[in-house]
Amino acid sequence: MSVEAESTAPVATRVYKPAMATGWWTHKRHYFWYMVREFTALPMAAWLLWFLIEIQRSGSVKTFRPGTSTAFVIFSFICLLFALYHSVTFLGLAGVIIHIKALDRPVPPRAIVVTMFGLWLVASIVIGAVLIGFGR
Amino acid sequence: MNQKTERAPKVALSHLFWWFMFAQGGGLAALVLPVHILVQGVLGPLGVVPVADRHYDTWISILGNPIVKLYLLVLIALPFFHFAHRLRYLLVDLGVPAAKSVPAQVIFYGGAVAVTLVAVWVLLTTAPISLG
Amino acid sequence: MTDKRITIRAARFDPEKDKVPHMQSYDIPFSDESMVVLDALNYIKAHVDGSLSYRWSCRMGICGSCGMMVNGTPKLTCAAFLRDYWPRPVTVAPLTNFPVVRDLVVDMEDFMHKLKSVKPWIIRKQEMPLGAGEHRQTMDEIDDFRQFSQCINCMLCYAACPVYGLDNEFLGPAAIALARRYNLDSRDQGTKIRLPVLAQSDGVWECSFVGECSVVCPKGVDPAKAIQQTKLDTTLRFVLPYGNRE
Repeated sequence: MSVEAESTAPVATRVYKPAMATGWWTHKRHYFWYMVREFTALPMAAWLLWFLIEIQRSGSVKTFRPGTSTAFVIFSFICLLFALYHSVTFLGLAGVIIHIKALDRPVPPRAIVVTMFGLWLVASIVIGAVLIGFGR
Repeated sequence: MNQKTERAPKVALSHLFWWFMFAQGGGLAALVLPVHILVQGVLGPLGVVPVADRHYDTWISILGNPIVKLYLLVLIALPFFHFAHRLRYLLVDLGVPAAKSVPAQVIFYGGAVAVTLVAVWVLLTTAPISLG
Repeated sequence: MTDKRITIRAARFDPEKDKVPHMQSYDIPFSDESMVVLDALNYIKAHVDGSLSYRWSCRMGICGSCGMMVNGTPKLTCAAFLRDYWPRPVTVAPLTNFPVVRDLVVDMEDFMHKLKSVKPWIIRKQEMPLGAGEHRQTMDEIDDFRQFSQCINCMLCYAACPVYGLDNEFLGPAAIALARRYNLDSRDQGTKIRLPVLAQSDGVWECSFVGECSVVCPKGVDPAKAIQQTKLDTTLRFVLPYGNRE
């Protein structure tokens, strides 16, 4: 599709401006994995909604139903893969966005990323210990 | 040429706020969500480890703790502001410019607010608050 | 010396005759391993088809004039070596996301307008009198903004950015990186003045951190980093009680 546009010449010249292809993100690997990263929000939301429903069902022993089916485990496993991809990309990119100075020197991005992954490890261990510990 | 009729640009405070919520929710989800999914969604159901939410009596007493309720509220609600923002922009990326409109913002961020309110209600009404 | 040849497929568009661009193939000698795509275009213009139109200037990666799509990737044609593509054909097209004026030439007006809107120059509340001497800066202060000052306005980042492609109103990577270059410059006092342009609805918030801009940048500016840091700094200004004044 072309667009009428003024140029600096005295006569208006036509320009050519195509619309962007809807499948633009299939044209490059980097674009594709970006879309996967964005998509991770959907399975994570779905799992948290399941969790909310599980809490709600805990209102009475009749409705209480912890996940047991194979389908649920597969669902959780797929959500886990997406959640891991989210964590790795989000925490990895934290080194790009966070810029702070310590003793007047900029903290290297690597140090920030390592700290983020360290926090992730610690949080996972603590929360995992609580979830498992109270299960005994 | 893509110049709008020249009007003075203004700081878009709503965009700033929702981006801030997106960042907070995303960070929290990145740090704590995987372990919950792993333990409660995979290892627990497979019987590999005992998990707090698999036995009614244990789970109900844990759910009664107000600190647990607060933790669960933040765990569930805050990431939804991240999801809302990201999914709205995912739609934009898929070629739906209407996802930028104010009605779309109301739907997506309103959805996150709705989840928050539902979570508050669920946590308050399930398992009476008890300490210890 | 073997008779090596290479095929260049160049996009042609004559606004007075064509409705849409079409590709035209040129088979030319690949006589020197140091030949770049720009050399191929110059050879075509000089010896084969003088009507081929394209921009170029320094031919050494500093002027930013010769940006085009080479096999679907935005590149400076003076920095794209034919030996990396040979023996396959090299497809040269005008930078994506910009209106095509003719052949490989795009309309840059939108970028120029956006660049100007961020006021990419030192802004002082009050100019220092000449008698006071020069602004003094330490090496550390220069290091704070050095990376973002490397931008040569080549617009490869705009061609790579799908957000800009989907919505031309987006301020864009280079403009934001250059705004940050000045915001971080210790001589500059214009952060607050640039704030509405950067933080408007078509400003930094539109960026979803695809990051392709930084991948294609020939000067290592990392505009994606500049944009994300601007988002964070702008947010902290409003969220922290007394703001985060850089």
